Amino acid sequence: MNRKSQQKFDRLFTLNIPILAMLIFTLFPLYWTINTAFKQEGEIVQRPLSYLPVSPTIDNFVTAWTNVGFSTYFKNSLLVGVCTVLIVLVLSTLSGYALSRYKFKGKRPFLLMLLCTQFIPRSMLIIPLFIIFKNMGLISNPLSLIITYAAVEIPFTTVLMNGFISNVPRELEEAAMIDGCNRLQAIRHVIFPLLIPGIVATSVFTFIYTWNEFLLALMLTNQQGRFTLPVGLSYMMGEFNINYGALAAGSVIALIPAIILFAYAQKHLVNGMGGAVKG
Amino acid sequence: MYKKLSKTLLASSMAAALLLAGCGGQDSAEKSNAAPKKDDPNEEVTLTFWDENAGPQRTPIWEELIKRFEEENPNIDVEYVGLPKDSAKTKYDAAIAANDTPDVGSVQTSWLPEFSLRDALLPLDSYFEGWDQKDKINAGAIDFNKDIVNDNKLYGIPYTQNLDILWVRPDWFKEKGTKIPETWDEFFTAIEEQTDKANNRYGYTIRGGAGGSFQLQRLMYAYSGEEEYIKDGKSTINSPEHAEFLKKYFALYKEYTPKSDITNGYKEMIAGFDTGAVAMVQHNIGSFGEHSEALEPDQFQAIPLPKTPDGKYVAEGGNTIGVSIFKDTEHPEAAWKFTSFLNSKESQSYWNQEVGQIPTNADVLEEAWVKESPHIQTAFKVYDDPNTILYKPPFYLPEYRSILDSTVDSGTQAVLSGKMSVEDFLDEWATAVEEAQKKYDEHFKK
Repeated sequence: MNRKSQQKFDRLFTLNIPILAMLIFTLFPLYWTINTAFKQEGEIVQRPLSYLPVSPTIDNFVTAWTNVGFSTYFKNSLLVGVCTVLIVLVLSTLSGYALSRYKFKGKRPFLLMLLCTQFIPRSMLIIPLFIIFKNMGLISNPLSLIITYAAVEIPFTTVLMNGFISNVPRELEEAAMIDGCNRLQAIRHVIFPLLIPGIVATSVFTFIYTWNEFLLALMLTNQQGRFTLPVGLSYMMGEFNINYGALAAGSVIALIPAIILFAYAQKHLVNGMGGAVKG
Repeated sequence: MYKKLSKTLLASSMAAALLLAGCGGQDSAEKSNAAPKKDDPNEEVTLTFWDENAGPQRTPIWEELIKRFEEENPNIDVEYVGLPKDSAKTKYDAAIAANDTPDVGSVQTSWLPEFSLRDALLPLDSYFEGWDQKDKINAGAIDFNKDIVNDNKLYGIPYTQNLDILWVRPDWFKEKGTKIPETWDEFFTAIEEQTDKANNRYGYTIRGGAGGSFQLQRLMYAYSGEEEYIKDGKSTINSPEHAEFLKKYFALYKEYTPKSDITNGYKEMIAGFDTGAVAMVQHNIGSFGEHSEALEPDQFQAIPLPKTPDGKYVAEGGNTIGVSIFKDTEHPEAAWKFTSFLNSKESQSYWNQEVGQIPTNADVLEEAWVKESPHIQTAFKVYDDPNTILYKPPFYLPEYRSILDSTVDSGTQAVLSGKMSVEDFLDEWATAVEEAQKKYDEHFKK
C-alpha cells in the first residue's frame, strides 16, 4: 500500500466513518419526525414500520396549523422572541461594554452575581412572578413574557458580551477617539462591526431560549389566543391519545425558524463561540 | 462626554420603551378583536373556563359545547382556556396561590380535597339542590365528592367517569381455548396459557414504570375486596391478602411478561398490546381509541377486573372528573348555568360519546350509542352492580400522590429486580400513608 492510499485509508477511519456515524445519530430523529409528519394516522402505528410515507399527506400540518391553532402560537412566539432579542442585545452590549472597559469597585463580585442568577430554579419564580404581573395587569400580555425572558437572559448574555468586547483591542477604540469620535461613536463605528459574530451568537441563544420555553409561557398566560408554540405542542400529548402525526407536524413547524436562523448564522456562530472561549 | 453618553442612553432607553409600548399596543388591538361585544351590554357576562386535558381531541368537543351554550344564553360569553394535561395541576396551583382563578373549571375529583382546603372553590350544595336534573347524576359519585373533602360540601359535579379494566385479545383466547378470566385464579391461568415465548408472545404486561402505582393499587384492592384504605390510623395496604396477591403478580415478571416491563410507562404498555406482543393488559376504558386504531374490532375486548372471592366487583372511588366553580367568580349564577348545562343529558352524551368514557347522567345511559359500545357497557355493569365495592383512596392527604409517585413506583421496580421483598415494599408504603395520615390528623385535631 503506497503512502497516498494509506492516507486515504486513515482518513476513512478517522474522519469519514465517524462523521457519517454522528450524522446518522443526529439526523435520524429529525428524519423520523419529518417522516411521521407526512404519514396518515393509521400508517404511523402500523407494523411493520414504513420508512417513507406510503401515501404522503399534509393533513397533519393542516390539523396543527388550523385546528390546534399553531398559526396563532407561531405569531405569538415570533413576537415574544424578536422583542426579547432586541432588548437583550441593547442592554447586554452596553453592560458588557461597561464590564470590559471600565474599572469600578466590586466588578468581580458583580460578575459573580450575574452568574449566580443562573442557578435560581425557574419553577420557584412562577408564583411570585405571577403575582407581580397580575398586579401590573400584564397577565396574558406578551410583555410579561418578554420582560421575564429578557431578565433571565441578560445576566448570561452580558457575561458573554463582556468576553467578546474584551477581545477587541482597546487601541482601536482609542485611535478612533483620537480622530475625534466620542465613546459612543467609537462603539458604534469601530467596536460594533467587530462584534457581529458575538451579537449573532447572543441573538441565537436568546431566541432559541424564548422559542423553546414552556413553563413560564403557560403560567403567565390565561388566554387561549396568547399561548406560545411549546404550549401548543404539549397539547398533542394527552394520556389517552397522542396525536403523533400532528405532534410531528407541529415540531417540524416549530423547527423551521430555528433551522433558518442557524443556517444564516452558522458562520458567525462558529466565530462567536471561538471568541467566547478566548474571552 | 458623560453628558453625551447619558443622553444617548436616555434616548436608547426611550427607544426600548417605545418598542415595549409597540408590543403592548399590538396586544390591546388583538384583545378587542378577540372578544366581540354582544348586543345587550347590560347583562353582558364573560366566564372563563379551564379545561384540564386540552388537545386536538378534547378541545373541539368543549368548543362545540360552549358554542351551544352561548347560543342558548346570548348574554354569556365563555372564554375557553385549554391546559396541557401534565401541567394543568401546576397551573391551577399557581392560579389559586395568586387569587387569579377562572370562573369555572374542569377539575379532577382527586384535586377537590386540596382545592377546597385552600378555600378556592364555591360550595355547590344549594345550587345542586335546586336543580331539576339533580337526581339524574350518579348519586354515588356525588356522595363520594362530598365524602372526600374536609367540610363534606359539594365542590364538583362529575360529568364523566372512568374505570380500570382488562383489555384482552379474544381471538387468541378462542384460538387456545383459554377462558376469559372472571376470578383471580382464572386470571393467572389465562396468563400462563397465553404465553408463547418461542413466538414472542406474552400473556400479560406489567406497568413497572411511571404511573404503575395507581394501577397496582386498583388490582390489589380488587383482589382483597378491602373497603377501607385506612382503618383507625392503620393502612390496609400491607394486609396479608395484598402481600399474597403481589407475590403471585410479580412472579409473572419475565416468566410470562416481557423483560422490559420494569420500565413500562403508559405508552410502552399499550404499544405491547396494540402491536400483538401481549394477550392481556390492565388499563382503563380511556385507551379504547388507541386499540381501535391499531387492532381490528374482533381483536380486543374490555372485561372487568376479576371479582373478589365472595363474588364482588371492586372499583376505586373518585375516578371521575367534574365541573367546579371557583370562589372568586363575580358571576356565580352564570357560572352555575354553565355548570348545569355541561351536566345536562345532551352535553354529557356528546362529551362522553366523543371521548369514549362513561357518563354520570342516568338518562344518557339509555341512549343507543352507550348500548352499542361494549366497553362502556362493561364499565357500566361494574358501576351499576349494587354489590360493587367502592374503596376510597385518601385523596385528602397532601402527600398521597407523591407517595404513589416516588415510594410506590420505585418500590415496584425494586421488587421486580429482586432487590426488595414484597413484605418490605408493602410495609414501606403503609408506613408512608400512616405517617401522612397522622400529620393530617394533628393538623385538623381530629
